[in-house]
Amino acid sequence: MLKYIVKRLLQLIPVLIGITFLSFAMMRLAGGDAVTYMYENAGTAVSQEVIDEAKKEYGLDQPFLVQYGRWFAGMITGDMGVSYVSDRDVYDTFVEKLPATILLMLSSITLTMLISVPLGIVSAVRHNRWADYLIRFLSFIGNSMPNFFAALVLMYFLSVKLGWLPVITSENLALSLILPTLTLAVSMAAKYTRQVRATVLEELNKDYVAGAMARGVKGSVIIWRNVMKASMLTVITLLALSVGSLLGGTTIVETIFMWDGVGKMAVDAITMRDYPIVQAYVAWMAVIYVLVNLAADIIYHYLDPRVRLAR
Amino acid sequence: MRKKIIAAVLAVAVLASGLTVQTFAKEEEKTFVYGTTGYSEEMGDAGLNPHDNYSGWSAVRYGVGETLFKYNDNMEVEPWLATDYEFVDDTTVKITLRDGVKFSSDRTMDAQAVKECLDDLIAVHDRAPSDLKIDHIEAEGLILTIYTAEPCPALINYLGDPYGAIIDMEYGIQGEGGSANVAGTGPYIATEVTPAQITLVKNEDYWGGDVKVDKVTVKSFSDGSALTAALQTGDVQGTYGLQYDNYVLFDGNPDYTINSCATSRCFFGQFNFDSEIMQDENVRKAVAMGIDKEGFCSVIMEGRGLPASAAFPDSFSYGNKAVTTVSYDPEGARELLEESGWTDTDGDGYVDKDGEKLTINWLTYPTRLEQPKLAEYAQATLKEIGIDVQVNNTSDHMTYAQEGDFDVYVSSLTTAPTGDPEYFFTSTVTGPKNYGNYQNEEVTELTEKLHQTFDIQERDSLAVELQQKLLDDNAMFFVSHLNMGIVTKSNVTGMAAHPCDYYEITAELDVE
Repeated sequence: MLKYIVKRLLQLIPVLIGITFLSFAMMRLAGGDAVTYMYENAGTAVSQEVIDEAKKEYGLDQPFLVQYGRWFAGMITGDMGVSYVSDRDVYDTFVEKLPATILLMLSSITLTMLISVPLGIVSAVRHNRWADYLIRFLSFIGNSMPNFFAALVLMYFLSVKLGWLPVITSENLALSLILPTLTLAVSMAAKYTRQVRATVLEELNKDYVAGAMARGVKGSVIIWRNVMKASMLTVITLLALSVGSLLGGTTIVETIFMWDGVGKMAVDAITMRDYPIVQAYVAWMAVIYVLVNLAADIIYHYLDPRVRLAR
Repeated sequence: MRKKIIAAVLAVAVLASGLTVQTFAKEEEKTFVYGTTGYSEEMGDAGLNPHDNYSGWSAVRYGVGETLFKYNDNMEVEPWLATDYEFVDDTTVKITLRDGVKFSSDRTMDAQAVKECLDDLIAVHDRAPSDLKIDHIEAEGLILTIYTAEPCPALINYLGDPYGAIIDMEYGIQGEGGSANVAGTGPYIATEVTPAQITLVKNEDYWGGDVKVDKVTVKSFSDGSALTAALQTGDVQGTYGLQYDNYVLFDGNPDYTINSCATSRCFFGQFNFDSEIMQDENVRKAVAMGIDKEGFCSVIMEGRGLPASAAFPDSFSYGNKAVTTVSYDPEGARELLEESGWTDTDGDGYVDKDGEKLTINWLTYPTRLEQPKLAEYAQATLKEIGIDVQVNNTSDHMTYAQEGDFDVYVSSLTTAPTGDPEYFFTSTVTGPKNYGNYQNEEVTELTEKLHQTFDIQERDSLAVELQQKLLDDNAMFFVSHLNMGIVTKSNVTGMAAHPCDYYEITAELDVE
């Protein structure tokens, strides 16, 4: 197992080189640069000398490969550079925003599981009855609602109309967390509920369930001890993908609720052509996906004897 | 048991009285929460260090910093921390400072303190040195003498730019970037500065009189809908940067006050004089006549823009009203095209000549939301006169502009950020942003004359003359001035939109 983990971690190196080079190249191909954007946003015209000086300061006057080489050399020695826009250390900026992203990921994943697992099971057990129809209908709505729309609807009812929650992040972190968490959970729970329902239904139709029932094992025991254990593999795959994506930040939700996470930071950086931040984000995403998938594989190993025995 | 009950009642009574006292204490403290889309690291104005990027805008906007001179509602310069000035000669200006002004660090503001501040400004700021052209500064008591390396008639105007906010350099810059705090002379003192929020308390020793609100919180918003909702819920009591389509929610509602004003941010187009099609004056004029500016401002900008005749809004003495230009006239535009041989021979709705359709390449960029919308709008209105508009809306517009790969280049610019007209002409007409390669010797001479003229009235006349030349030559067309709006709860007073967009939180702010 240890050998397998080390092998997977070593795979990170070419992935990191490839992905950061690609993103660096794509940002250049997209045109524009941080210096131009900064003055454009402010709507003032400055002399070419000022622009050239600023570009020189950030090394933007150097050839593409030199710029990438410098960035990569810095990264492997632990120096991720300085943001062109804020002039702050990229690593510090990133670390500062990460806790908010992790907190939102944990809260939304927890709420999603709390909603989707029971609803998915009820929907499967009450297959083709009114409860199943209602859950499927609601999950259909949740699935088809874009995040920004869900955010605005929730904001309208819970903040503007009822006045229960603050519109954006306030001093009360617990209250501030509710709206972004609900927004993310709406679409994720809708998706998960359908997945849980499908997997549980599939398991319920298997022979071992019929056998257990024939032996008089209680329905709840079959569901929670046998069916759910088998269904967890699908849920874990989904979870791994969601955790990866949520750790990359949820730009729209972060922007609307002014949740100071890495997603908004990354999109702002792309808009402003703030290359050091974009590169750090891309590297972070690559690491996250590799690690989360590795964690999912390890969990499979313990949950599914077929995976264990195949190795 | 009875003792326990009495004790419980007493405890509740003590708690209630404590809460009451606290409530009264809170009622006495006036607070104001301000939501803005204009404060963020992406805008380059996070933090309060005026010597860094555009952070001076935040220092002045939120009442922490003040400049030696400020702009009035007509964008004319007035003394602020200074009381008077005199040009001793073309390169020397003597400025008298206001007496009795203190920094929030408790240091008295005198000429030495201002000299230290301006010396640091020109040492570290990107734009200030080339604007101010300061050679050296002398300080004595309350008299500050600035020597410039070359004649700089607009020096006093430039000193009103927010980068010129006077701060105490002995106190220094606390923190960096979006968290930088400074000791200014304004009505408010920042107690906490982050890239997303500034907390301000009133300056008890403010030289300008009593400050009415005790605590102000400035919150950054990225999303216009959230800003609207926050104003509706009362999470914020005032906003800057609401989306155009959200104004209807507050317009005519007695619970809110809308205060708006035309700024010098102007959406305008430059014709490419190196383009064969655009060398025909009739085509340039037809394009200018074929754009319905009124419609664009009222429909597309939902009333948040004012039609522009030239580079500066009506509130300026050398603004729109001082010049004459063509108005929206599709029929007249069609006649002009016909005069130049452009007619619709194949009935496809577009005019053509020698078998070639009249197609213009419209270059713009998406940073300002209005620009792509203007491109689409022009595409529709110019189609009516038979011109086919191909829009190139790209973030890489600078490359295309510099290479002259366009027929019309539409951008936006704050044409008079310091209330002085020279900046627009030296940057965009004869300077590096003359992407259309417009050349007119008379215009170049007039711009040079403007650069050397100290008399304000003469400068105004030159600005009018120059704009008229641009319009007569059909070198550019001006579409709209951005109407900046501040929406507050109706119990908020003393907050007004300003043409230069610099003054928002002032000592006059009050919450009734």
